[in-house]
Amino acid sequence: MAVAGCGQGNGNGDGNGNGDGNGNGDDPTATEMEGPVLATEAQKAQDAWEKYQNNQAPDQEEARNEAFVTVEEAVRDDMVLLPLYHRLGERFSYDWASVPKRGSLGSHRQQLQNATVDTSSDQKSENVLNLRNAPMSSLDPIQSTDTASGIVIGQMYENLTNYKNGIATQLENQLATEVEVSDDLLTYTFTLEEGVEYHKGGEVTAADFVYAFRRLAESPNSQRANFVLDELGVEHETETVTVTPTAEDGEPSEEERLVPGSLAVEATGEYTLEMTLMSPQPFALDILAYDSFAAIPEGYVGDVEGYDGEVTQDEFSTSVANGCGPFQLNEWVPDDHAQVDRFDNYHGSTAELDSVHWQIISDDNAYWTAINERNLDVFGIPTTFYNPDNVEAEQDDLGRQVGTYGPLENGDTVNYLGVPELTTFYVAWNVPQAPKAVRQAVAYVTDHQQLIDEVFKGRGQPAFSFTPPGMWPTGTDGYNEWVENWPYARNETDRESATQVLNEAGFTSDDPFEITLTTYDSEVFQQFGQITRDKLSGTGVSLNLEKAPFNTLISRGQSGELAFYSLGWIWSWVSPAYGLFGFEPKNTDTSTMPAETNGYYLDWQVGLEDEG
Amino acid sequence: MSRWRYFFKRLLLSIPVLFLVMTLIFVILRMGPLDPVAAILGPDAGAASGNRIREQLGLNQPLWKQYVDYMWSLLTFDLGQSWVVQENRKVTTLLRIFGPRTLWLGFWAILLPLFVGIPLGFYGGLNPNSWGDYLASSGGIIWLAMPNFWLSIMLLMVLRRSDGGGLFGFDWYTFGPNTESIIGSPPLDFFVLTDWASLGVLSVPTGVNFDPTGLFVAIKVILPPAIVLGSASMATELRIGRTAILETINSNYVETAKAKGLPSRVIVWKHVFRNAMIPLLPVITTEAFLLIGGSVIVEVIFNINGIGALFFQAATQGDLPLAGALLFIFTLIIIGLNILQDLLYTILDPRVGYD
Repeated sequence: MAVAGCGQGNGNGDGNGNGDGNGNGDDPTATEMEGPVLATEAQKAQDAWEKYQNNQAPDQEEARNEAFVTVEEAVRDDMVLLPLYHRLGERFSYDWASVPKRGSLGSHRQQLQNATVDTSSDQKSENVLNLRNAPMSSLDPIQSTDTASGIVIGQMYENLTNYKNGIATQLENQLATEVEVSDDLLTYTFTLEEGVEYHKGGEVTAADFVYAFRRLAESPNSQRANFVLDELGVEHETETVTVTPTAEDGEPSEEERLVPGSLAVEATGEYTLEMTLMSPQPFALDILAYDSFAAIPEGYVGDVEGYDGEVTQDEFSTSVANGCGPFQLNEWVPDDHAQVDRFDNYHGSTAELDSVHWQIISDDNAYWTAINERNLDVFGIPTTFYNPDNVEAEQDDLGRQVGTYGPLENGDTVNYLGVPELTTFYVAWNVPQAPKAVRQAVAYVTDHQQLIDEVFKGRGQPAFSFTPPGMWPTGTDGYNEWVENWPYARNETDRESATQVLNEAGFTSDDPFEITLTTYDSEVFQQFGQITRDKLSGTGVSLNLEKAPFNTLISRGQSGELAFYSLGWIWSWVSPAYGLFGFEPKNTDTSTMPAETNGYYLDWQVGLEDEG
Repeated sequence: MSRWRYFFKRLLLSIPVLFLVMTLIFVILRMGPLDPVAAILGPDAGAASGNRIREQLGLNQPLWKQYVDYMWSLLTFDLGQSWVVQENRKVTTLLRIFGPRTLWLGFWAILLPLFVGIPLGFYGGLNPNSWGDYLASSGGIIWLAMPNFWLSIMLLMVLRRSDGGGLFGFDWYTFGPNTESIIGSPPLDFFVLTDWASLGVLSVPTGVNFDPTGLFVAIKVILPPAIVLGSASMATELRIGRTAILETINSNYVETAKAKGLPSRVIVWKHVFRNAMIPLLPVITTEAFLLIGGSVIVEVIFNINGIGALFFQAATQGDLPLAGALLFIFTLIIIGLNILQDLLYTILDPRVGYD
């Protein structure tokens, strides 16, 4: 998730701040019999999630898909989370640059070896593709979590599998040539391509993957250990260790830790790799396409037990890269630029470009200036400078808009590609702090289409489900039916129904329910907040607005202090489960976050039957 | 008290000020609403890594110990590393990369107004109520009224449209040395030290590579943002310079000098200008403080990526180690500027120290 870089830090210091976020004393809780209805569908969601988990075999896809839709239904009917929009990823390019059309997983999943620039044109003298990037955080595949870093890492490192051009339906083998899955669906045997060279010499072997996966699971620098241990679920052992804190007043505590070297990934030959999962994972090959599972030479970084490392992790994350991808690192000057150069010994078809250069630009005015100077070959257009009337495009067979955009400020017309992305931006509630009627009232007054037209000049798709339409479990027809059945006044503002449902719950315009919407520094959500506040006034809900920096919002959400908040979710692989796991009501318990549970900050577990 | 004793007293006084400010920074950073651990972890990480980071940051130490460690590491210039904005990079490395850009911008943003604002103000003061004076004064007020962010955007828009000859009939990109873009960091590699010789403990640069074209490019790239950043100072210096000249010109000693029959050239240069500089001095140094804070928006819009922009990111993203280290550097700069101001006063005004 990108953090918006604008606005002053006025989330907390301006008087309307945190005081009302955690005042639980007045709020109705589930145990109070007199309180308003909080949740009725939580049990349904819990059961459906368990049904998904119990049906992992390839032939049980139907049961899984049913379970996914049931979770969506429970979310919708309890209205614990209101999806707002799916982002439309747009790409503009000057005529002299040619980059294959990308897919819905985002530009950071596309490798650029097939991109070309026409150096015979007046504007290009160098065979370098000039792009823009946001500030990057790290070059270490197991450490980076932002898309800006992912864009650069993806050019330098490769995985067992890959989504070609970031297209969701084109999962292919990358370094693996063959994959065998055992009958119990737990053991995967990969045969690796032979003779694949690293940038700094040496060949890719199965032992490198064993090391790379161990780093992902064990390194203290890993930000994605849960991807290999939980999402993919590779078998491993844990031990309980007693941690003695250094502070004098701290109590020693017991902690579960992964036993070093116990991850069930093994090199059975120089080019054969065996991996054993704890339980079947239908999306295993999809997950392996994620950046963090990239091959690096065994022992290259010494941050796992048993290896000294050739470079330190500090160097590995900032100035040294050693993958086997089509491009190798030239340099990264933080916040200024990054450049990768063609790797001549690449195992696939060698890149046509000499280099790819990213100018790191955060400000919209600077970005727009660089675009109009023709200093960027492929780019996006900041919403302020965007005019929807300038798009002329037709839909292709993958649902992408292909055409032209223009004129720009400099008079040029450029190529246009619009891709519905696998993202969902939403607002959600903490159940004990927001009665069901209040949540439903917000859904009734929200006009998705109006929001998208007014706030983003039409660059998005209304979201009526958490799972994007591109990966809806029951296909396009199923999705259309789902949208048809949206119970909360689709694409219109229904204040009457909102008032009615609120009145039934005892909230009136004279005695409204007060709730605070906390958004991070995002123009979009702040405008949503203002529009919704105005629409709700007089219905029985009084909405306060509050802004918090992204990381403050996250930590307050985890401690259950947010009654109503805004966030987004970006899919890293094409599985509905990767988005829906956060709805499992037991997994939404904020009192055990972030250690035991990692769902959305809903506290939906208060609606479970066994919780009374 | 002699002038120099006065100066050293001021120098000594800056030490408790430094301590006070550092303590304040510590209190704000450690007790404020931002949780650095949450900032570093991001949305999906386990509690185990949280504890580890807490340990590495020393946040589980008793507060007094944290305070002592913090003060000691700052005083020994051990600035630590960034945790969120530029993960794993040392603050000193970041300063080396980002610092020169801001210094280059700041240098021109202070120099330009000095050479435009003060002469215009002096001109106005020496020719009061003439058309030239009116033009300069009202121009200064209008200039002052234009906010930096707006000026930046306007300047960008006008300049980028000059490609191939625009509104004003000249092409900024080919005017003087060729530049490809009006945004981005100025190329500061026109001056490179290539060889070092060691004399005992000292290293002395012996090989110097100086590229005059590079210097001109670097100046040209920094001019637009420097003009914007210096615009407010320019106008203030103009206004105060004018008033100071007027006051000095009408003072008794100038009358006396005139009566003595001193040539007006000598009166203006020796008596008027020198005395008019005294009220201007604090204005100039104060403007220099403002430039540090004000550079944020200009750096962001012109994509210069200097210290200002870095600090803004650190503060908004909860990178407390980096933000704290940068605040410490800012404090040092401000205290340094204060000392410089005192030094200049001591030299310029013989009355300093008499009491």
